[in-house]
Amino acid sequence: MSVVSGTLQSPMQSPPLPGDGGRLPRGGASIVQQGGAESRADLLFALLARGAAIFILIMLGALVLVLTTAAMPSITAFKAHFLASSSWRPNEREVVMRDAKGNIMRDADGEEVTVTLPPEFGALPVIYGTVVSSIIALFVAVPLSIGASLFIVRIGPRIGLLLGPISFLIEFLAAIPSIAYGIWGLFVLAPFLQDHLEPALNAVAGKVFFLRMFHSDQGLTGRDMLCAGLILAVMILPIITSLGRDVLRAVPRVQIEGSLALGATWWQSCQVMLRYGRTGLFGAIMLGLARAAGETMAVAMVIGNANRISSSLFAPAQTMSSLLANEFAEASSNIQRSALVEVALILLVMSLLFNVIARYMIVGRSARPAV
Amino acid sequence: MQIASVYIRGKSHLMFGLCILFTAVILGLLGMVSGYLISLGYKSVDLALFTQLPVPAGAAGFPGGLQNGIVGSIIMIAMASLIGIPIGMLAGIYLAEYSSRSWLAGPVRFIADVQTGVPSIVVGILGYELLVVPLGSYNGWAGAAALAFIMIPLVARTTEEMLLLVPRGYREASVALGATKARTILRVVVPAAFGSVITGIMLAIARVAGETAPLLFTALGSRFLESNPSRPFPSLTVQIYHAAMEPYKEESRKAWAGILVLLALIFVLNVTVRLTMRASGYGARAAR
Repeated sequence: MSVVSGTLQSPMQSPPLPGDGGRLPRGGASIVQQGGAESRADLLFALLARGAAIFILIMLGALVLVLTTAAMPSITAFKAHFLASSSWRPNEREVVMRDAKGNIMRDADGEEVTVTLPPEFGALPVIYGTVVSSIIALFVAVPLSIGASLFIVRIGPRIGLLLGPISFLIEFLAAIPSIAYGIWGLFVLAPFLQDHLEPALNAVAGKVFFLRMFHSDQGLTGRDMLCAGLILAVMILPIITSLGRDVLRAVPRVQIEGSLALGATWWQSCQVMLRYGRTGLFGAIMLGLARAAGETMAVAMVIGNANRISSSLFAPAQTMSSLLANEFAEASSNIQRSALVEVALILLVMSLLFNVIARYMIVGRSARPAV
Repeated sequence: MQIASVYIRGKSHLMFGLCILFTAVILGLLGMVSGYLISLGYKSVDLALFTQLPVPAGAAGFPGGLQNGIVGSIIMIAMASLIGIPIGMLAGIYLAEYSSRSWLAGPVRFIADVQTGVPSIVVGILGYELLVVPLGSYNGWAGAAALAFIMIPLVARTTEEMLLLVPRGYREASVALGATKARTILRVVVPAAFGSVITGIMLAIARVAGETAPLLFTALGSRFLESNPSRPFPSLTVQIYHAAMEPYKEESRKAWAGILVLLALIFVLNVTVRLTMRASGYGARAAR
């Protein structure tokens, strides 16, 4: 080991191993003395490493603390109403007063009496947008990616050399940045929806009551809730697929062989696998959901940015993250900025919740970061 | 009985077919997305993209290039790496080498994993509150810090994994020769895992290279070739975003070309990681 030869001190001077009793034998530590400078450097390095680890905890703490502080003006001003209100009025507005019969009130000079409404903010439309677009994404992505993970685990070995490239391609899909998906959605998916899919669905679905969500009386732009949901679906496909593959791969062979020995068909043995790995699969889906809920750029580019709740999937909408991307830099008042930070805080708490649940579900897997 | 059996078998065949179909659909989507982006980008990319500044609509030379964005991104990613890689590596070293009896390891590992799932736009808001508001203007430091925030947990977790792959005998041999623990780590363990630690860092860089959302309210963006990080700072991704949202065809072409540059960078980083992982024999655990 030439690497360490330079570090030899006197033969008798081998300092003990600080802090790592579990990994290495400590024999001989009692007969050596503590070195001087070398030992101090050793301690310093240990402290630095510990400090860096603690820094990771501080980072998350700072995130929550700073966001809560900055959101305080909005939280105290709007309280719980913020979650239920769907008005988003960044500027004061004068409205004409009306009396009980609905006539415009006038004062003695015949002037209209007006009141000034203060700015008001409510997060309901963006929470709705995030929830609905995530649901669309899961609805499309979950069957596809569970099917693909089954393919990789159960059919994959039969196709030999092809499997490696297929796995790599699916994982590369996860490395493509959000903005690239956004550009694809903006220039390919949205025009396709506008010109082909939505007019076709519109014609059929308008006549059936429970398909009203696939119908819109407004002009179709293609940049709407459906487009955002589909883009999100494409983006979370690789995450659920690769995590699902890991979960299914960890199912003991005995489970599969046992079911086959009992006369199960191919699909029935797959069902055994899915049932065995259901907790892990649920975790994988939760992580996909967390990613979908927090995704920003791609959604901001295709959702149409309309801050309202609409029953139609063909209408423009807004999610929490796309609202932040669009308005934060241009916020005109402190209260608007504070309201936006409160939206960010809700988003943060939501995604932390999803992530914590998911990590507990996939616990036991030596999990590398999913994305 | 006969009918039930036929039904069950038929269903099994159907599901088998569906699994193949679903995989084909996913691969088809990948082909459509990347094929479209590559072909459009290839048609739009030219030398001016790398050598010219953006030009506003109506002025001579519209739409110009993305030179300032490319340079700005490189500077900001370098600054983020200077902050993020040492902290991340130290934290990874702590998790792998020092934490075997500490209560700290579990929470740090868990929080680092959870942090990789924090929406990046929220990180941007943290950067705004901590570095833009006190300094009085949008600036490059805030952008770099936001990117570093995203890098640290990624680097920490990959470093930890790679160090744990180094055989215990290396540490024992080094300590037996009288090296202190810090020297053992810095001169033996980290060099032994160097290749795979570097690949982990490259993956983290590939990840932040594509980030747009955390830069929107930190670095903001700039039309000029900026070298002072105290001012609003240009970046490739934010410029691509603005170009894509412009109504002009020329701006769209610029966005497509920019995406191609970005994708090429990320692809090269990912493939290099794959190949080095395989070559160094860590593939089974590390190349996920």
